[in-house]
Amino acid sequence: MAGSSPAMKGGLPNAGVYRLPFPVGYRGETIHVLAQQLVNGLTLGAVYTLIALSFSLVMGILGVLNLAITELFMLGGYFGFAVIMAHLPLPLALAAGMAGAAIVAIVIEKLGYQPFRTAPLVTPMLSTLGFSIILQNIATNVWGSDPLQLTDEVLAQRYTLGGVSVSAMQLTVMGATIVLVAALAFVVQRTSMGRALRAVAENRDVARLLGVSASRITLIAFMLSGALAGAAGVLIGLHYAAITPYIGVEIGLKAIAVMVIGGTTQIWGALIAGPLIGVLEVMTVAYGGSQVRDFVVYGFMILILLLRPQGLLGGSRSDQGQRV
Amino acid sequence: MTSHWNKALWAAGLGAALTVGAALLPVRAQTAEIALGAIVPSSGPFAEWGRANTVTLQMLEKQVNDGGGINGAKLHIVILDDATKPAQATNDLRKLSGDDHVLAVAGPLTSSAAEVTFPVANEMKTVATSQASSKPGVAKLNRPWAFRNTIDEGVLGRTAVPYFKKAFNIKTVAIIFDAKDATAATVGGKIMPALMKENGIEVVNATDPLSFNTGDLDVSAQVTKMKALNPDGVVVSADYSQAVTVLREMKRQGMIKPVIGSTQLISSAILKAAPEIPIIAPATFYATMKGDKPEKFVAALQPLLRKTSGLPPEIEPSMYDANIYEIASIYIAAIKASGVTGKPENLEADRTKIRDYMAKLEGFPGLGGPIGFNDDGDAIKAFYVLQGQNGTWDSKVRGCSAAPGHPGC
Amino acid sequence: MMSAYYAGLLADVGILLLGGLSVYIILATGQLSLGNAGFMGIGAYMTSYLTVIAGLPITLALIVTAVVSGAIGLVVGFPALRLKGIYLAMATLGFGEMVRSFFLNLGAMGGSEGFHGMHHISLGYIWTWAAAILLLIVVLERSRVWLDMRAVRDDETAAGLVGLNATTIKVGAFGFGAAVAAISGGLFAHHHVYIEPGNFSFERSIDFVLAVILGGSTVGPGALIGAVLLVMLPEYLRFLAEWRFAAFGALLVAMLLVRRQGLLDRASLRVFALRRTA
Repeated sequence: MAGSSPAMKGGLPNAGVYRLPFPVGYRGETIHVLAQQLVNGLTLGAVYTLIALSFSLVMGILGVLNLAITELFMLGGYFGFAVIMAHLPLPLALAAGMAGAAIVAIVIEKLGYQPFRTAPLVTPMLSTLGFSIILQNIATNVWGSDPLQLTDEVLAQRYTLGGVSVSAMQLTVMGATIVLVAALAFVVQRTSMGRALRAVAENRDVARLLGVSASRITLIAFMLSGALAGAAGVLIGLHYAAITPYIGVEIGLKAIAVMVIGGTTQIWGALIAGPLIGVLEVMTVAYGGSQVRDFVVYGFMILILLLRPQGLLGGSRSDQGQRV
Repeated sequence: MTSHWNKALWAAGLGAALTVGAALLPVRAQTAEIALGAIVPSSGPFAEWGRANTVTLQMLEKQVNDGGGINGAKLHIVILDDATKPAQATNDLRKLSGDDHVLAVAGPLTSSAAEVTFPVANEMKTVATSQASSKPGVAKLNRPWAFRNTIDEGVLGRTAVPYFKKAFNIKTVAIIFDAKDATAATVGGKIMPALMKENGIEVVNATDPLSFNTGDLDVSAQVTKMKALNPDGVVVSADYSQAVTVLREMKRQGMIKPVIGSTQLISSAILKAAPEIPIIAPATFYATMKGDKPEKFVAALQPLLRKTSGLPPEIEPSMYDANIYEIASIYIAAIKASGVTGKPENLEADRTKIRDYMAKLEGFPGLGGPIGFNDDGDAIKAFYVLQGQNGTWDSKVRGCSAAPGHPGC
Repeated sequence: MMSAYYAGLLADVGILLLGGLSVYIILATGQLSLGNAGFMGIGAYMTSYLTVIAGLPITLALIVTAVVSGAIGLVVGFPALRLKGIYLAMATLGFGEMVRSFFLNLGAMGGSEGFHGMHHISLGYIWTWAAAILLLIVVLERSRVWLDMRAVRDDETAAGLVGLNATTIKVGAFGFGAAVAAISGGLFAHHHVYIEPGNFSFERSIDFVLAVILGGSTVGPGALIGAVLLVMLPEYLRFLAEWRFAAFGALLVAMLLVRRQGLLDRASLRVFALRRTA
């Protein structure tokens, strides 16, 4: 019967009398809704991972919370949109987004971080906030406050595997995330630049004594972080096919939570925590109710901070925050 | 070094003290020009509405002054930005009313701003009329100086829902709303469920409200859940920029079902989200409306909007542009009809005359038909149930928001 | 007679001053709280409940709310001991968001529809509270209490060795800060006579921190200067129309660049004192 509530479709008797926390129906139907929600959660998780990584690059190496990353994400999205709307291919959009965001990141590093290297950490954080305000204003004036939408979605073909529908764009987002994370991990663990990054993170002064140009390294950290945020912006903007100057705001706060949960200095931590929080959020909505979702996510973050401050994948020593 | 700095600091402090002192001085006398005020969001998430409103008011100001002004005096509309922050809207009203001595204020736009600005309107004894607030009861709580040139969403829904039911043979709906937006949450949480019940439509997620937050990018979980419930139609109660996210997700997951919502959906952006999904929403004005007055209005305003930098090149006059145009026009008519002089010594009396004129207003020739105000301060005017599909809005039903005891449209 | 416009702005300054002071108190012990909007929200809702539904007079309602909020602050202060620096900041951020989410779901106080019914308070009343608390802090700053707080901030281990109980001081600071933020919220609620959960977001918490950092993070009156700046600057920048906020952001960065400890610091106030005795 069209439109009848699933509780009436068969399955348990008295299903209308007590409210079960999940849609009751044929076994198969429940499982494939669950699986669909998992796919939703993983896609959202990929979003979080990329932005969390972007935060954590600067946070882990420099100890600074760069609040402008959310706007780098947003700008990356707009640059990517501009390329796609000019009918140019996706890889070019990705490159444009990453390059554009990285360039803006350099400006922020020179004006908003370098001068505050020796200041208490709250000062560079607030200066990046200033940049965030400037970038949002510029974006509103250049592109307008209304959602900018793609007429035809990119990579829209959908594949159905066992009742679960997933689009090519979603697969691209998840795949690109894994590739970007792996590339970043390679750079950090195996290249000399990565070694230098880790050295500065460990102890800036000693690193300089050993010949590492700390200012060059911080510049590289900002650039990489910007490029990652820009990539996230392109991928996510194209997946959702609509963008406003304010998309960074909500998602930024959640990404900070993801960074903390995964372990601020751990790259692989963000890769695990992102999908974990994405799935947690989606399952809370699906089975607990949309209203408590924020409560659950931030509550989980606080719990991790209290019980295991180094994050899920953090090392045994808990990171001592520098004096604020 | 430090002493130079400290000297500069104390100099700055002195300067600030002088400014505060200036604030305490009585404000200088005004020349007899007719001043109206407006509060619009020219920055922030609704910047486009605010900038379009600004162009609309500037057009009206020019039209009036080219036509000889009001009883010979020049019209001057002071437009202030509230940046979509309610606290700034209250300061704007205080400035317009207290310092710029305007006779009446058009705005603010959002219900959040109206909730805190209307009490200030009562405090300053200046009429304020919102061009877009539709959250139930906002003007009602703030009589007699607060008005709204909009119709309560409950009244609009009472005509929209039966049409929706009939046109698409709807027996069941799922409701999803923006929990962070007061108007959307009221419509989605209270008004729509009640209307559905009245019309014999079952809400399949009645015990399990589906919502998201303003600014969320991802609503895949909510839409998957809705899809599993398989309703005939969907209620999307959210501002159009958020509704775009929901509609696109519905399309992405293959859930092509008719959608109904409040006036918040009315926009050109939403038509691009999922053109094959029919959207039913009420409006008091739309750009392709037929009739001498609306057509002239659109013909005059559209080219000005499209020329303005910062506004998209395909922009059309919106319902809120029409509303604010009507508000300012009503003020001008009030001024002409009640013998308002615009002289500073008569300011309080003039403002009261405008308020009384508006309270008794009936049959004012608006862009979509005659306008009046009811006892709650909301507009009695014609409205249209629009269906948006394949890139255009078409009018399907004409309704009127008159309550018993008031003349109709 | 003061222009209503400036009166409104001064009311905003007073409320923001209290918010800034709430951050300043906690910052004095070396802890950065990015979630004080949560305590402000608790203050706003509780005070409104007490005056509108329980019928208490406003002053009593504010006192009760400050005490309750202070208690909540103490409770928050304990787990906060385990965290330092930016990690504590993030935890407080999470706390602030959780409080906002809580009020969004609290149907009894309106939820997203907001809450009405409060009566209006005068500018004088707001500033009585603001000035009194500012004065209290200025006096405390010259006392042993503040010296202890600064000692804990500078070096907790050394402070412990000298016999200070860092736990009491740090947790106590959270409680005190929470109480002051709650008063800010209660005054806010009765100034605007309507509140909604969106008023108490991360943006508000950041405003408090900005006021302190810009105005002077080492002295109490710094929050006053910062509050004046944050309220008045957007008004003075109106002539820039749609570039208003970009200009504000640029000024923010510029101010931090020029004087990172904020406009006021102990040296500035000392100069004033010397002039008086000279």
